[in-house]
This record gives sequence, C-alpha cells and structure tokens, in this order.
Amino acid sequence: MLGEFDYVRPRSVDEACGYLAESDDARVLAGGTDLLVDIRNGLRAPRLLIDIKPIDALDRLDADGRELKIGAAVPLNRIAEHHAVRLRLPALADAALSIGTYQIRNRATLAGNLCNGSPAADTAPVLLTLGAVLAVAGPDGQRAVPVSDLFTGVKQISLGPAEIVTAVCIPVPGKGTRTAFLKQQRIRGHDLAIVNAAGTLAPGKGALRVAVGSCAPTPLLLEPVDANGGSVGAIADRIIERAEEATCPISDVRASAAYRSAVLRVLLRRLVERLLDGGGGS
Amino acid sequence: MNHEIALSVNGRAEQVTVPASMTLLELLRERLHLTGTKEACGIGECGACTVLLDGKPVTSCLVLAVEADGHEVRTIEGEATDGGLSALQQAFIDAGAVQCGFCTPGMILSARALLERTPNPSDEQIVEAIAGNLCRCTGYESILRAIRLAADRHGREAGEERRLPEKDDRAAVHSNGGDAGAG
Amino acid sequence: MTERPCTRTGVTPVPDDLRYVGKPVARDDGLDKVTGAARYTHDLALPGMLHVALVTSPHASANIAGIDTARAAARPGVHAVLTGDGLPYRPGLYLQDKRILAREVVRYQGEPVVAVAADTLDAARDACKLIAVEYEPLDPVLDPRDALRAGASLVHPDLHTYEHMEGVFFPQPHTNIAHHQKIRKGDFDAAFDAADVTLIGDYDNPPVQHVPMETHAVIVQTLPGDRAEIWTSSQSPYTVRHLLSVCFGVPHANLRVRVPYVGGGFGGKAGLHLEPLGYVISKATGGRPVKLVATREQEFNTLPSRQALHSTVEIGTDRNGTIVALKATYIWDAGAYADYGVNIGRAAAYAGAGPYVVPNCWIDSYVVYTNKVFGTAYRGFGHLEVLWGIERAIDRMARKLGMDPVEFRRINLLREGETTITGEPFTAGHGSPVACLDAAAKAVDWGTPPEQPTEPHKVRGKGIAMLHKAPAMPTYTSCAAVIKLDEDGAADVLISGVDYGQGTYTVLRQIAAEELKLEIDRVHVTWECDTAFSPYDWQTVASRFAYMGGNAVIKAAADCLHQIREVASRALGIPREEIACEDGSAFAKAEPNRRIPYAQLALGYTFENGNSIGGPIIGHGRTIATGLTHLDPETGQGLPAQYWTYGAHAVEIEVDTQTGEMEILDIATAIDAGKVLNPKLCVGQVVGGVVQGLGSALWEEFRFDQHGRLLNPAFVDYKIPTAKDIPRNMQQILLEFPQPDGPYGARGIAEHPMISVPGAIGNALFDALGIEFDTLPLNAERILLAVRERSGGG
Repeated sequence: MLGEFDYVRPRSVDEACGYLAESDDARVLAGGTDLLVDIRNGLRAPRLLIDIKPIDALDRLDADGRELKIGAAVPLNRIAEHHAVRLRLPALADAALSIGTYQIRNRATLAGNLCNGSPAADTAPVLLTLGAVLAVAGPDGQRAVPVSDLFTGVKQISLGPAEIVTAVCIPVPGKGTRTAFLKQQRIRGHDLAIVNAAGTLAPGKGALRVAVGSCAPTPLLLEPVDANGGSVGAIADRIIERAEEATCPISDVRASAAYRSAVLRVLLRRLVERLLDGGGGS
Repeated sequence: MNHEIALSVNGRAEQVTVPASMTLLELLRERLHLTGTKEACGIGECGACTVLLDGKPVTSCLVLAVEADGHEVRTIEGEATDGGLSALQQAFIDAGAVQCGFCTPGMILSARALLERTPNPSDEQIVEAIAGNLCRCTGYESILRAIRLAADRHGREAGEERRLPEKDDRAAVHSNGGDAGAG
Repeated sequence: MTERPCTRTGVTPVPDDLRYVGKPVARDDGLDKVTGAARYTHDLALPGMLHVALVTSPHASANIAGIDTARAAARPGVHAVLTGDGLPYRPGLYLQDKRILAREVVRYQGEPVVAVAADTLDAARDACKLIAVEYEPLDPVLDPRDALRAGASLVHPDLHTYEHMEGVFFPQPHTNIAHHQKIRKGDFDAAFDAADVTLIGDYDNPPVQHVPMETHAVIVQTLPGDRAEIWTSSQSPYTVRHLLSVCFGVPHANLRVRVPYVGGGFGGKAGLHLEPLGYVISKATGGRPVKLVATREQEFNTLPSRQALHSTVEIGTDRNGTIVALKATYIWDAGAYADYGVNIGRAAAYAGAGPYVVPNCWIDSYVVYTNKVFGTAYRGFGHLEVLWGIERAIDRMARKLGMDPVEFRRINLLREGETTITGEPFTAGHGSPVACLDAAAKAVDWGTPPEQPTEPHKVRGKGIAMLHKAPAMPTYTSCAAVIKLDEDGAADVLISGVDYGQGTYTVLRQIAAEELKLEIDRVHVTWECDTAFSPYDWQTVASRFAYMGGNAVIKAAADCLHQIREVASRALGIPREEIACEDGSAFAKAEPNRRIPYAQLALGYTFENGNSIGGPIIGHGRTIATGLTHLDPETGQGLPAQYWTYGAHAVEIEVDTQTGEMEILDIATAIDAGKVLNPKLCVGQVVGGVVQGLGSALWEEFRFDQHGRLLNPAFVDYKIPTAKDIPRNMQQILLEFPQPDGPYGARGIAEHPMISVPGAIGNALFDALGIEFDTLPLNAERILLAVRERSGGG
C-alpha cells in the first residue's frame, strides 16, 4: 500500500470542491504521477484523494477559433495527439511529449504538471509565453488565474487549499504565430529538464516572448523583445541578457550552475534562431 | 477505507475489496496472483509494471486499484490466446529479444499497445513506444527488431482484423522543438 | 531495422558438420518469459510467509548509541525485530569484515541496522517507523586517497582480527587497506629512467551500480534440526550454501539453496547478500518463511555497487614505440566492506597493464575502505575501470610518439613467444589480440578521418581501445554436470550454474544434444538450480560458465554414451567398440539396421524373455581449473588465468560543442570468442554489454554529498540507457581463434563487451576535440565545460 488514505470519486466539480473544503488534508488526484510518488516517498501524506478523472466536464479538450480549453483530467498523450494542438500549438505538444514516458503520459495531465509547482515543469514555459489562464473552481466560486501568477516558489503555487484547476485555457495565437520548445536533458530517454525554454513569435516578427524553466525557483516569463529590426544574433543576445538578469541557476545532483548557465544560453540562441529563421540549432 | 471494486482483468470479471491505497500492481500480483507484471522501481520510471488500462499502457505502480474500478486491464497473462503465443510473443522469441526476461512482460505490453494503435509503425515510433521500458540485458536492438518483425508479419497475414488508425491518432513522436504554427 | 551480420573469421577452420553447436538455436526459456509464467524470487510465496523491512543508517559513519525497538516489537503483526546485538556473525567470501546487521557502528549511509518481520510488508514498514536509533555521528572518510593518509580514521580498526583467505589476500592491520596486490616484473625504475619517451597520467572512475531489473530478493525458512531452505535471486547457490554453512556452523547438507529465474545479476548477485539476514530473521520468528525484497532505493543504497577507482599510469617507451616500462597505481574505493573488492584488486593487478608486452612492470593495487556503500563483483571485475586508464594512457603515448594509435598498439600487443606481466607465456591458444584490433579498426574505416558534419558546432572523431580479461577465480574452481535420460530417451541436464539472461543453458543444451546425438528438442536443462539435486558449480561469474559448464556437459554426455553403448553392446551381443550412436539410437556400425533407441535403454534394457540389464542412465562430468597458481605476494608472478579473451572496441562519435552532448554514431566490437557456440546469444551478449558499457561511459555515477549520503538512489537521477540512447549503429565481429581446452574451442565472452567502451570513447573525444578526458562519466556537462575552458570560457 502506498500509505493511509481514503479515496472518493466526486461526480462534479462542486462535489470535488466540497470534499476539498471539508477535509483538512485532501488532495486532487488526476494522473497521480507526481502525487503518488510523493506519497510513496513520504513527502506527502494526505488523508483523502479526490479522483477528478471521471468528471466529464474535466475530460474535455475544446478548441474553437479563439481558445483552446484543456480540461484538468485530460492526459498529456491525448493533448499532444490532438489535431488542434498539433496544428496551432506544436510547442505545447513538444513540451507535453518531453515529459516522462509514454506510459506516464497516459496518466499525467497538464494541470497536474503545473500544479506540482516544479520550476522544471515542462509545460510551463510555453503556457507562459502564450498567456494561458487557469480556470479555477473553489469555495468562493470560479476565478481565472494566469499561469504567470501560479508559481510562487519551488513546489509552491498560489491556489488556495480548497481550489481545483478545472481547465487550462490557452488563447489561440494569431495566424502566423510561431512557437517552439527546447529542453536540455542528461539522456535522450525520459529525464527531468536541466533547463527548458519556450518561445512565441507574434506574426510579422512582432513581439518575441520567451520563458525559461529550471533556472530559478519558478518558471520565468522574460520581458518580451521586439523581433523587428535587428539581426537574429542581436535579438538572441537581448533575450539571453534578459534571461541572465532574471535567472539564478543552481548546482544540484543533475547539473552544475555553470553548466545550466552555459546551456541556457545555447538553448535560447537556438530557440530564437528556430523562431526567426525556421532553422538552426540542434 | 476499503472499497468494493469491479474490473475486468484479461477479459475476466473480478470483484474485490481493496484498501484505497492499494496500487493496481499490488492488486494484480498479490490478490489476483498474476505475477507476470513486475515491480522494479515503484515510481513509474522503469516500465516493468506496465499493463494496459482500457488499451493504454500505464505503469501500474502509479495507478490505484480503486482507480481501475469499472475499467479493463490487460496483463501479460492475457497476451497469449487459446491458439498459443501471440505473434508479438513469438517475434520476441525469434528475434532473441529475451534475456533475463524481467522487463519482457512490460515490453510486450507496450509493444502490443503500439501495434494496436499503429499497426505499421515507423522505427521512431517503435523506439518511442518502448522508451519507457528499461532493459539492462539486451541493449534494446533485438527488442526493436522483434517489434518490427511482429508488425511485418501481421501486415502479411490475410483476413485478420486490424484496427484502422484514426485520423489524428498518430503515435506521439517526440521532437525537440517545433515551429510553424501556421495559425 | 535490418539484422546485423555477424562476421566470423578464424585460423583453424571449425568443422561445419555440427548440427547444433554454432547455430542460432532459440532459447527455450523464452516461452516462460514472454508469457509471464517465469517465476522469479520476487514472485514466490510460501504459506505463512512473513515480510521483512529494514531500518538503514542515515549516517556514513557513526557509533550506535542505542536502539529502541519496544514499540515496533509490540505492534500487531510483528513477529521479530532484530538488531546487530544478537548476531555475532561475520560472513564473508574472502575477508570476513561485515556483520549481518550493523553492530556498535555503522560504516555507510544505507547500512542495514534493524530488520523487522511482520505479517505484511506494510506492517513491517510501519513497525520500522516506530524504531528509534540513537547515533553518535563520526566524521566519515569518503575518498580512498584520504583513507590512505597517515592518521586517517580507520573504517575497520579491528582489521587485524578478521578471518581471511590466507596467502591470497593481505589486509594491512591498522590501516584502511583491505588488500594490496603487487606486480614486480623486471626493473621498472631503471627502465623508466632509460626510456626515450615517458608519460604519466591520472584517471578516475566513479562508483556505479549494476541495476539488475529484478532487485535482490530472498526467501528463507529455517527448519528444525538446524536446517534451512533458501530461495534467492543469486548467481551462486553453492557459494550461498557454503558461506551460510561456515557462518552459522551447520553442515552443508542442512542448507538447501534454490535459484529460480533471476532477473539479471551482472555480478551483483554473486556471493552472499541478503541470505544471512533472511536466515537469522526466520530463526527469530521460530522458523517461519521470511521474504526480503530490496526496494530499488535499497538496491542502489544498501546493496553493493562497483568500486570507484583512481589510477595513476606511467609508461615509458623507446623511440620506436616499444613499451619498455609500465607502472600503475590502482586505488580502489572498496566502500565500507571488502566483499569481492579484494579479489577485484587482485585481478586488476595481474591484468593491470592491458594486453601488452611489458618487460618491466610495477603495479600496486590497493583496496581501500571508505564510509560509502561497498563494492562487489560487477561485470568486468575491475577490468573496465583499469582499462579506462590504460587505454587512455596508451592512446596518449601513441600521440606523444607521433604514432597512429592502432599502430602503437599493434607493435606492443601480446603475441606468441611473449609473456604477460605475471610471467604467463602467450601461446597460439590464447587467441589473437592483433586480429581483434585490426577487425575493429577496419570496421570503422580507421584510416579515413570521419566525415565532419555540416553544422559548424558539431564535430566527429574516432577512437579505439583494446580489452582483455581472464576469469578471476580461485585455482580450485570446479563445475559438475549430470545428465539423466528420461523414459522416452530424452535427456535432462542438471547443473548449478545460473542462467540469468545470458543464455548459457541454451548453449549447454546445444552441446548436450550434439554430444548425445539427440534432437535438441529432446534435451532440457532443468531450469531451477537446487543444491539438493544440481551438482556443484562454483559461481556464475567471470565469463566461465559456458567454458567450464560446457566442458562438464561434454564429459557428462560422454559418460552417458559410454553407459548407452555398454548396455547396447550387451543387448545386441557385439563388442562396445562396434556400437555407434546417432539420432537418439545406438546401433551396430557394421549393421546399422540393428539399432536400439535410447528410450529402450534409458532405464535399462529388457530382453524378450524378460531378463533386464543395465539401469537408469545417468552421466556425470566434471571439470576443475587446471594449472592455476597463487600469485607470489611480492612479485605477483604466477598463473592466475585459465584462459584470456581479447577484444577491441572502435567507435565513431559526434559531439555538439555547444551543449556537450555526444552521440555514438558507430561502435564496433571485435572479440575473439574461440568458437561462437550460438551466434544469436553471443551477439545478444555483445550488444547488451556494449550498451551497459555506454552507461558507464556516458552517464552513470553515484553522487554523494559531503556527509557521504548517496544523492541519487533512484532512476530519477541515476540514468541508465533507454531505447532512445543506443548508438546509431553497432557492429559485432566475433573471431574464432580456438581455445584449445574450451568446449568446441570456445572461451567466455560475457563480460568483455563492456570493458573498453569508455576507453574507446575517451580516445575518440580527443580525436574530435583535442581535449584529454580522464574522468568518467563523459557526460555532456563534463564535455561542455572542458570545451569552454579550452576556448577560454564565454
């Protein structure tokens, strides 16, 4: 057994919120690929797990012209294979596919990846550049939380104890927008990010938005850079400058700060080249 | 804390009472005595505990038994039929893809799910499908060959029911970096 | 994906009329394994079985001030709680330095301190949480070089009181040295001083782990009358039996050890590991069967690893490139206990100059205690670690001389008429290191520089490295096989070597079928070894099982045929010399129609009138290591090697100089197998070994914090190759220069495919980047930081 907890299957979001509000130690169970590991390893010991997967409303992936709405229970494989994601947001598909293994991605969810709060969350950078917003339900009703307001520290998020993410809402970028995601790993097989980065280039070489992960306590959205006027190299330099100001990579068991810094620069340059040139990089 | 659950395991209806915190892996191995599914890490990293949940490969060490209530589970014990070994199992033997055998059940199920969703997979798709199954003995080459062999043989058989790929149901291939969101 | 061709060449043509030996016969255990029917120790359960959980030390070095087990013992479902206090035993293979549970002190973070047996694993784990251990932490010694300094704290202050294999291993009292092996051949100092060109360098290997997919597991039930039954995921049932017998003072016959399917071993399951703990726990519960299965974290942190090695290699040559002197200092990081470490230290010395002619050789191989998880046997038995340094040094020396690395090796490789550094004469029967070198070089088109990629930040290089290894085994190592015929004339082979994936049982079936003149489908190897029934085999390590087991099976088969012909001769009324065997029948050579199928002889032969002769046919064969001698304690001279297997790796790599990532484009492995008994299985061993070697070369290492705590005891941060990480192309070239006393000319190849993978890659990195890498693993961080340092940072 993994621990000492009970399990419920609410039939609606309201019921799920109710369980959360009643219990002083309950957690939402979506994919469980972070939560159950933490429980096994003694890092978390909730008394109640609330399984949101059977809630129909959370299992939907809706795409209209303006917004992609990904329910909290939709597993990463389904997201990555969805035609609208592959067409409009290929960087999100890439980020999703870089997480874990095929088996893990049949369970792990986008909302779960975010709510785990890791600075290395692979889906965070691209969602930050796209201005994604979380639909959150709680005791005080619904609210919208921009992803940029979600991460508050290492494994810490801004949601209240009785709040549930019901969907990740991504404004569909304008026609001609380019997106890209890069992740540095120790091996080609499944691995956590040493650093990761995503970029979105508005049509007509407008604003270039870049976000980086795994080199600060939270994923960071950098100040946008105007991609008009200036060589690819100069624009990359500016992005790198912004990143170096904003980030503070650490040394840990996975990599040294020196390596992270060096590789972050390379990744950002490749990201910019890919977005502006459509080529370059690895 | 105990829950009565009903699930189908290899086509057989099972009704059991389980604690909430029992994993599907524990249910299979200890309650149902299906020891073909192995535990080798307990944290979803190695794939040895892979089973098919509603046809999709998952690491059963990270699925609670209660989550499987109402669902279909297929384990390695369900791979062979009355007629004998499946083509995939036979291909593993023929290609020399089995050494110590501990990763083999998980490998076969990951491959089984691949061939069901993509009967004619590319080399890259085969690698992606088993990348989550660690093997320390074979160096993987023979396993990749076995899956290719099974796919090729299946393609040559006439009259066998094949699951046609859905329009968007391309197996996920991880490529680092994508561009051209032609919005 | 195309089938990789397996190229074979040889000096002495092997007869091609063999029916089974040399053919790609499929393994018959495949059926059990692909259906999930194969039962490993993990899968076994006995009625009334209890489950064991452990409390392990959080400190690398500490005195145990007190252990409070009262609450744990009182918890419902708990049957026994054991600490080291009640266990005055010190089991050990070569040096008895280890308690079953820590007693008075803990010597590594992860060391087992308390064991709990309970009705369920959950109950046992819960009970462990109720145990309070009071420690007085001490300053650990973490680097063996520190451990060697005068005044270093002693990991084993009582080393001088420990039993050990006298005359073979030499622990140094009042030091941290568990063993010191020396090679003193010729006069190194004089030769080095007189050398025209010299080179000195240091090389490092970190500790790594075997990572068998099935973690260590054991079930033990003690029985009345000082007996016990043991099921264990082990490579050596008879060693388990013997060491338990010695440790607990019970006769061997009282202990029955069974080994079911084993999910990988790689050396880590040789010797004694969880079995003594299972034994004492079962006893403490009054004879209940107890099961102890290592979690993956325990597999990394509590069960043993591969020793780290710090090498210094000094080479001197004349101006023509002939090696005149070689000195190596090997400092092995044994960790807290010496286990197989002392024998690795010994083997590293006698193999420690590589497969080269070295007229003046000085080697010191020290096995040094530190406060870390201890090392044990690991595929290659020290040779990967040693050859990392040697092959890097050889390459550097070649370049210093302005010579092609292949040419430098060619002129210095052992050949007929030369002697090894222990004074062993090299003969034609040793095989051909030069042929391996040439084959590997050819396979990667050595003379042609690699085609450089179009991307300016990527660069390619080629590298080559030699390998060699002999089985590191006692001079009395033996193996026996029994073959009994079934009622229907089929044959069962009983042997207690273990097939834990390498496929040796299939090879033995092939040999038995060939020798017995039986269809291979009618030859079986009884899968589970059981010391009650399977005859003795030393251990399944050292790449010796196919060689010694094969020879034992050949003799057992000959014994069976002798008995068959004996009975047939009486049945047919003709002299035994005139009886031949073919296709499962004995027949008169002069009149082949007069034949008797084995089925009519297997249990004796009955004449028409009812008279019966003969009896059940049971053949026996045995083999023992021959001609081996102990090494002289001062000079290391002697004959340690039953046979040597030589080989070479050649590799082409591509490095991304911006990220440090390296891809292996092609790796060719040439090994002189003597005779390829089964090409499919042989290739399987080579590919598997190369990928495991890649893990050591590129990614694997234990990381410790400054307190000696292991930081990466899980797959999250201990990365082994996945299917995405294998080289783009792998070639296997199996040469056949026969081993005269090997079965059909075969010698062992099991460990060799991983041995010089790191060396070849390290050499290729110099070719690509012009940077010398001396420390493993060659991960992207190490490469990138070196590239940047070379270009002045930025």
